[in-house]
Amino acid sequence: MIRWKNAWIVMRKDLAEFKKQKFVIGSIVAMPIFLGVVLPLVMFVPMVTMVPLDRPWDINGLLEIGNLPDDATIPWTNKTIQNGSFDSTILNHTKIQNTSLTHCIIDSCILENTTIQDSTIQKSVLHDSILINVTVIRAEGASLDGRNILAISSDLRFIKTKPSEIDQVLPMMFNMILMIFIIVPATLPTIIATYSIVGEKNNRSLEPLLATPTTDGELLTGKIFSSFVPSMGATYLAFTLGVVLLDIVLIPKVGYPILPNLTWILSMLLLAPTACLMSVLACVLVSSKVSDVRAAQQLGGFVIMPVVLLMLGVLAGFIFLSPVMIFIFAGLYGALDVGLFLFAKAIFNREAILTKWS
Amino acid sequence: MITCERLTKTFQSVTAIQDLSITIPDGCIFGLLGPNGAGKTTTMRMLSCLIQPTSGKAHIDSYEIGNKEDAQHIRKMIGLLPEVPGLYETLGAYKNLDFYAQLYGVPKKQREESIQTTLTNLDLWDRRDEPVGGFSKGMKQKIAIARALIHDPKYIFLDEPTASLDPMAAKVVREYILELKKKGNTILINTHNLSEAERICDSVALVKNRIVKVGNPKDLAKGLFTRTINITIKKIPSTLLKDIESFSLVSQAHVQGNQLILNVKNPEEDNPQIITWLLKQGLQIQFISEEEHSLEDVYLKLIEEAGQ
Repeated sequence: MIRWKNAWIVMRKDLAEFKKQKFVIGSIVAMPIFLGVVLPLVMFVPMVTMVPLDRPWDINGLLEIGNLPDDATIPWTNKTIQNGSFDSTILNHTKIQNTSLTHCIIDSCILENTTIQDSTIQKSVLHDSILINVTVIRAEGASLDGRNILAISSDLRFIKTKPSEIDQVLPMMFNMILMIFIIVPATLPTIIATYSIVGEKNNRSLEPLLATPTTDGELLTGKIFSSFVPSMGATYLAFTLGVVLLDIVLIPKVGYPILPNLTWILSMLLLAPTACLMSVLACVLVSSKVSDVRAAQQLGGFVIMPVVLLMLGVLAGFIFLSPVMIFIFAGLYGALDVGLFLFAKAIFNREAILTKWS
Repeated sequence: MITCERLTKTFQSVTAIQDLSITIPDGCIFGLLGPNGAGKTTTMRMLSCLIQPTSGKAHIDSYEIGNKEDAQHIRKMIGLLPEVPGLYETLGAYKNLDFYAQLYGVPKKQREESIQTTLTNLDLWDRRDEPVGGFSKGMKQKIAIARALIHDPKYIFLDEPTASLDPMAAKVVREYILELKKKGNTILINTHNLSEAERICDSVALVKNRIVKVGNPKDLAKGLFTRTINITIKKIPSTLLKDIESFSLVSQAHVQGNQLILNVKNPEEDNPQIITWLLKQGLQIQFISEEEHSLEDVYLKLIEEAGQ
């Protein structure tokens, strides 16, 4: 039975010690910031500034189309158009559903509470229009000009639009960046956990600590969380910064804050913590065999192999991080965590620590 | 009360301590003396529930050493000062003490008052937030002793408590230990400092992987050495040594300056006869005293014998 208060006291003490290690803090914060913020920006900024990107809503369409087609019909007003095929049509106050729109001009319209669903909008003009609460669902869109849209409400949403080139490239790149945010929390504990346990051994402070009425499980839990919390804290900090900056870079091209999506959120909530915990627990096991912090850190590098394998799978294109895949890997890592915790608990006993941990 | 019955600890093929049987009554200062590797620290660790005995039994009050459920109770009753202070060097003295006080479950108000009193007594209150890594060895040792006492334990285990202290600081610690005894604490000390053990311990056990001898430090020499009498004579004639060696009461004699040194079996009965004889020889006796054997003499003799 773990008394969480004792684990909390041990964790707070370790964090207080950790706060005094400025170089360790520096390395803990610098690594995720560099890998999770600087590196993605270096990848994306040239892409969005130098490479012309095709998007569902293309700003180049309007000027190419020019004037209204001759056969443009009288504007449809307050109509519900279903299952129709319209060509060169002016739509006003119109609900568009199951409709194919080709060469349409939506001129001086207010598209309010309008759903464009399963439709094709190509080479059309949204001219002097106001779009309020418009949802585009599974609609194709190419060369649709948006420059003359007077206003787009914040509720303009694109759901599952047909992937354009950037749509095909972005997920791959996002997967790679997402892997950084999973590998980072798996790597950071090798610095903290090895210091937290081996450092305590080197400092000869373990004996008085073990003589207190805390149980082995409480000490182990405190030690685990004292490595887990700063590692995840640094990861979440880098994640937040990275996401905000990536959105700032991508919004001009994509049109809306693309991150964090469901995959990223699930990864941060499930995959990163389980990977981090796995690394912490493995470091505890490594600590039982070495007495030197550097040796523990070196060996700790090997214990993140399951995460490295996932990363290699993603980079090689064998694995695509979808929500389902995240649940699968988080489950695997979670099972490994449970196994490692039980094993660590078995070897983390006072006598072994004092007499065998050398 | 602490009792050990044939307490043994073996690490694989190495026996650290074997068949240790001692009783430490409440309010007593008990010293474990022995060379390095004699099993003193192992004994202290077993009694602190840090390691399990291989065989034998030990109890602290009614709690049994080696019983997992009793271990929590025992640890609450014990304050341990290990061989090395083992402080958290980057933290201040206050945080070091506060951390342990919290783990021992000392209520907040009590621990704040206790820490303030302790650090004020150690003249460290103004430096309470300074990292203890910058303190002297002696100061660290004092903080470590304060840490062992922060929860007001009944039993105090001190492993070489004055090892790194200067003579003045060591004296302060010794006096403090005697004060703790007056308060009713039971103290177990591992030490190499034999004069310290002689001065403060009510009872000592000489150990070298097993008990060599147990007893009051002053009584340990009894029966161990032939008793030696030093007689200072104003002028010793050259024939005296030959004459005195023929004396049946004297087992050994030698002259050193103007001192006649005699080994006798029973000075209480033999001395008057020897003195009377010397006076009859017309010798002027200036002083007469019995040579005392220190704990160090006892220790060296016994440990040497145990080694053989």
